[in-house]
Amino acid sequence: MSTRSRLIICVLVLGALHLGVACAGFFAPYDPATQDREHPYAPPMWLHFLDAHRGIHLRPFAYAQESQTGSFDEYEENRARVIPVRFFVSGAPYRVLGVLPLRLHLFGADVPVYLLGTDGYGRDLLSRILFGGQVSLLAGLIGAGLTLSIGLCIGAAAGFWGGWKDEVLMRVAELFLALPWIYLLFAMRAFLPLAVPPVKAFLLVVVVIGAVGWARPARMVRGIVLSAKERNFVRAARGFGATGGYLLRRHILPETANVVLTQAAVLVPQFVLAEMTLSFLGLGVPEPLPSWGNLLASLQHYNVLVSYWWMYLPALAMVPFFLGYLVLASLLQGSSRATKIEVASAGV
Amino acid sequence: MSELRAKSAQMGAVVALVAILGCSLFVGRAKSFPPQHSVPAGEKEEIVRVAGEGGRRGGRIVIALKAEPKTLNPLTAADTPSREVISTMQGDLVHINRATQLTEPALAKSWKISPDGLQYTLTLRQGLKFSDGRPVDMEDVLFTFRVYLDEAVHATQRDLLIIDGKPITVRKVDAQTVVFQLAKPYGVGERMFDSWSILPRHLLETTYKEGKLAQSGALGTAANQWAGLGPFRLKEYVAGQRLVLERNPYYWKTDEQGNRLPYLDEIVFLFVPSADAQVLRFQSGETDMISRLGAENFSVLSRQARDYTMADAGPGLEYNFLFFNLNELGEKAPAEMVRKQGWFRSENFRQAVSLAIDREAIVRLVYQGRGAALWGPVTPGNPRWANAAIRYPGRSLDKSRQLLAGAGFRLTNDEIGGPKLVDAEGKPVEFSIITSSSNADRAKMAALIQDDLKQVGMRVQVVPLELRSLIDRVTQTKEYDTCVLGIASFDADPNSDLNVWLSSGGMHLWNPSQKHAATNWEAEIDRLMEQQLTATNTVERKKLYDRVQEILVEHHPMIFLASPDILVGAKKGIGNFHPAVLEPYVLWNVEQLYQRNGAENARR
Amino acid sequence: MMRFLLRRLGHAAFLLLGVSVLAFAFSTLAPGNYFDEMRLNPQISAERLSALRADYQVDRPMAVRYARWAVALLHGDLGFSFAYNTPVAPMLWTRARNTLLLTGTATVLVWMLALPLGVWSAEKRGRPADVALSWATAVLLIVPDLALALGLLVLAVRSGWLPTGGMVSVGFDGFSAGQKIRDLVLHLVLPVTVLVASALPVLLRHVRAAVAEALEASFLRAAEGHGISRRRLLYRYALPAAAHPLIALFGFSLGALLSGSLLAEVVMSWPGLGPFLLEGILARDLYVVIGGVLLSTLFLVAGNFAADLLLYWADPRIRAEAAER
Repeated sequence: MSTRSRLIICVLVLGALHLGVACAGFFAPYDPATQDREHPYAPPMWLHFLDAHRGIHLRPFAYAQESQTGSFDEYEENRARVIPVRFFVSGAPYRVLGVLPLRLHLFGADVPVYLLGTDGYGRDLLSRILFGGQVSLLAGLIGAGLTLSIGLCIGAAAGFWGGWKDEVLMRVAELFLALPWIYLLFAMRAFLPLAVPPVKAFLLVVVVIGAVGWARPARMVRGIVLSAKERNFVRAARGFGATGGYLLRRHILPETANVVLTQAAVLVPQFVLAEMTLSFLGLGVPEPLPSWGNLLASLQHYNVLVSYWWMYLPALAMVPFFLGYLVLASLLQGSSRATKIEVASAGV
Repeated sequence: MSELRAKSAQMGAVVALVAILGCSLFVGRAKSFPPQHSVPAGEKEEIVRVAGEGGRRGGRIVIALKAEPKTLNPLTAADTPSREVISTMQGDLVHINRATQLTEPALAKSWKISPDGLQYTLTLRQGLKFSDGRPVDMEDVLFTFRVYLDEAVHATQRDLLIIDGKPITVRKVDAQTVVFQLAKPYGVGERMFDSWSILPRHLLETTYKEGKLAQSGALGTAANQWAGLGPFRLKEYVAGQRLVLERNPYYWKTDEQGNRLPYLDEIVFLFVPSADAQVLRFQSGETDMISRLGAENFSVLSRQARDYTMADAGPGLEYNFLFFNLNELGEKAPAEMVRKQGWFRSENFRQAVSLAIDREAIVRLVYQGRGAALWGPVTPGNPRWANAAIRYPGRSLDKSRQLLAGAGFRLTNDEIGGPKLVDAEGKPVEFSIITSSSNADRAKMAALIQDDLKQVGMRVQVVPLELRSLIDRVTQTKEYDTCVLGIASFDADPNSDLNVWLSSGGMHLWNPSQKHAATNWEAEIDRLMEQQLTATNTVERKKLYDRVQEILVEHHPMIFLASPDILVGAKKGIGNFHPAVLEPYVLWNVEQLYQRNGAENARR
Repeated sequence: MMRFLLRRLGHAAFLLLGVSVLAFAFSTLAPGNYFDEMRLNPQISAERLSALRADYQVDRPMAVRYARWAVALLHGDLGFSFAYNTPVAPMLWTRARNTLLLTGTATVLVWMLALPLGVWSAEKRGRPADVALSWATAVLLIVPDLALALGLLVLAVRSGWLPTGGMVSVGFDGFSAGQKIRDLVLHLVLPVTVLVASALPVLLRHVRAAVAEALEASFLRAAEGHGISRRRLLYRYALPAAAHPLIALFGFSLGALLSGSLLAEVVMSWPGLGPFLLEGILARDLYVVIGGVLLSTLFLVAGNFAADLLLYWADPRIRAEAAER
């Protein structure tokens, strides 16, 4: 398979995954905040096609779960109560991409069916994973995008100009690396009115973290630019009278693609996971809104870790996304290398 | 991490638990306390003989603290870990037995209260020695109260010795007798002497004169430079890791057989900063006891029980609540806040919110059933002071909606068909609940409340804040709508919550430190609380405090939610493990704890 | 070279100054201060509180407090902890030592793993072995450190093979030297594993990318054509050619020695700087935090300095440029 076709497949898969999250309302059977207080920590229900009498059902069904008396989180499957699953049903209202109001869901049933189980409030985990991706992916992409674009600009400028400008920029970078940003985040939350919607408040925090995180990528980019500047083909181009902007664009920045792409693929998951720490400090996405960060944060609790295996599922749900980014990055690296070599040979 | 526990806790030991049974002792007439504990006569050393299962000498127990203690100095200690450690190293004149909640003679072998309730005459036990072997005399007692009262020392408990604006005066009568003179009668009686650690003058006087007393007792203090009258004394401190205490050979208690207590050779406090890590340490057998457990970890430990016993000691004294911002914000307040406060000031609104909250669900989902639903402030853990007439009537959405309709609110539908409550001006009812991000239980309560209130059409946002930011908003900037917090009274006496109910109190959270009571009912509470403070008759105090509870329930400035049980555990090998619902839950009888197979454990 | 060193020293001074000023400023911005918690202590009256605040001068303007602190710093005094009521410096030293033991071990290990693995997978790039490795590290990247740490602890409890946190056992003082080392190593296993697992994937990716890029360079292709042995080619030529980004990364590793292990330390109750500073931050124990930040900054400076020296040594072009200046 050529790199190009791999690239296409990868983009398609990633696109489908993102579409699924964007249309979470349709794929999720319930509202992610709806509590079913009779079913906290209910394990996943299996869909069946064969009933107890070996009868085959074309329509999948599940058995009802009934909590055992006197127990908080133990359930028994009641084989007598069959819940048929229906498709394209009308259910909890939602908005597609925050605009279009709809009630149509891929599936639903008369009695709640929890395909991936529920959390401690009896909320459907499947719905929470799907909706949670919206906030988290947005945060990851915004954060990584900001960090990298600022880092790239400053790093390239410092490396290319050199001299006192480089000095100043790098000293500022060190300052940014060393400062206790946590205080600034606390301060920011204090100045934000409480009425600011929680998601906006969280995204603001992400923007701040993204904006102050440029120092590391900037230093890496600078290093590459420094050495790229001295390469023969760049010197040659300069000798032919190429302008600074042209040199940067055509010869130097392509050299940094490798590092930038690797960083990007690594930073997106890091931003998503950073929310776990942020929520510990009261800066994450608050209840009842789901996000991958706060879904995973519940795994920090020993009791959840050892008692409810389905609470690991959010972590699994993230895997295809993040692997997708990593694969995409390495495929892009491959193709960028190819073009770069062409450019290089053309330049010499 | 129940942060308020740390704060309110201290007080407890000091202001004291007036447990009802003890009340007749300080009712008007002078009465000397009949010591149930026989004191061997004719001996120079007057030792206390303690009833209970006899144990065996030797061994050590290891227990985890969630943070390092900050100091060993009882004068300045303000955090829970420090207080827990200090309670095992220091002795007080009169002690409140954490299990019976009654007072018992400690360093003072007896006491008398004058008929007017103003004079307390205490007799010091003879032959007492500090843990470094130096004898105790009356000068130590006088020194202790001198430094506690000295403003320059900044003793955290100082204000408790100021009654009606005047400090208690302490006067030596003879080598064994001391008189405490009060400006006004004090309802709690001799319980006020609990937790005032008698300090070693020979070690501290020089430091005191240099004005450095508050800085002494740092963790790095050399073991021979620190002493107390508790069952254990300092052995070693390893920064960031552990604090090791060893047996005080001069301790003034023996068991029934006359063996000198404590049984254990050592207590090791390990610093384990996360609650989950503490559970793991306990489960792997690296620690011997665990307390302050959440219900979830408790059930995990119970389910996988190996060689340890888990115990539910029953409801504690912690009460969790939701309160509204009822502060006078003045003219600078933003219009939106003024509108919101308009709702909050409506008693119908507050009651409607209260009725809409499903407390049973809170107990079940937050505490896994190991807790109690509350309607008033006094928990079932404190049956003597709880107003029996106040009971949780159960959730009622209908009543809640009626009350709201009566207060001029209208229920409409929002654009996607959900219920939406609007006020008389047609503005939607939306507000936020702030809660501490480090307390998972309260965050969970807030999320449940949010969902409950959605059903009567209120739009609520839960905003978790890191603790200091939260305190800053509630006590300083007053920029919040509502807040979920909890208070864990250390003692079962109304006085422990004095600062919460008095309108001038700093912990009168919904509108703290008022100059004059803002409402009539707050003025009435003020009056009742002042009355019970100086009433010496417990029946009367109870009547006054019952009325306070009624007023609180009637006006709902705080919506009381639920109270968790005290959950603890210990290895099966630990003898005399009898958890109490008062702090320190498992270490209150530390001198009697023992290892059934002492020697083996010591080797571990 | 001397001038280079002097300039570096100047940078360090500038950085420390900037960090301390801004850290002070941020801490003033953050809501609340240490004494706030006492507001909710029913025992402490408002008068007591204001006396305490006056004593510790928390209400003085920031500039005044900064000046006092800076003057004290020049005398080697890092200030006083509000919470512990003792000087900050000795408390920081003990904990920093413990942290360095942990992170030092982890950093050595992670580089020892990442270099050969990265070179190997760069050589085999695109082949199944490389793909398998990159997927495995991708999974490591996605597993949150916290969950990993807790998971390992659960394993330790279940199996009973390893201690469940802390740095030494309770009876450590009574152990013989051999037992002491064994005890320490056993306690190191879990936190070091967590740190290695969290740092390895990123580092590996960078090493692989850098070496892969170097391998594409024409001089290496030529070298390959000349029949230089594979091993020599990889380690003698490709790795040094890829050194630039790696040395910068190594500088980061050194710089993060004090600050990179917070989570692992908290979960594994390692008595290091992490839990101590976190407590300080949450309690607004100002001088503890600023002392910790300064200490981390020192490491950052040292890390950068080491990286610069290495680069100077490894890259003739930079040496030439430095000489020109």
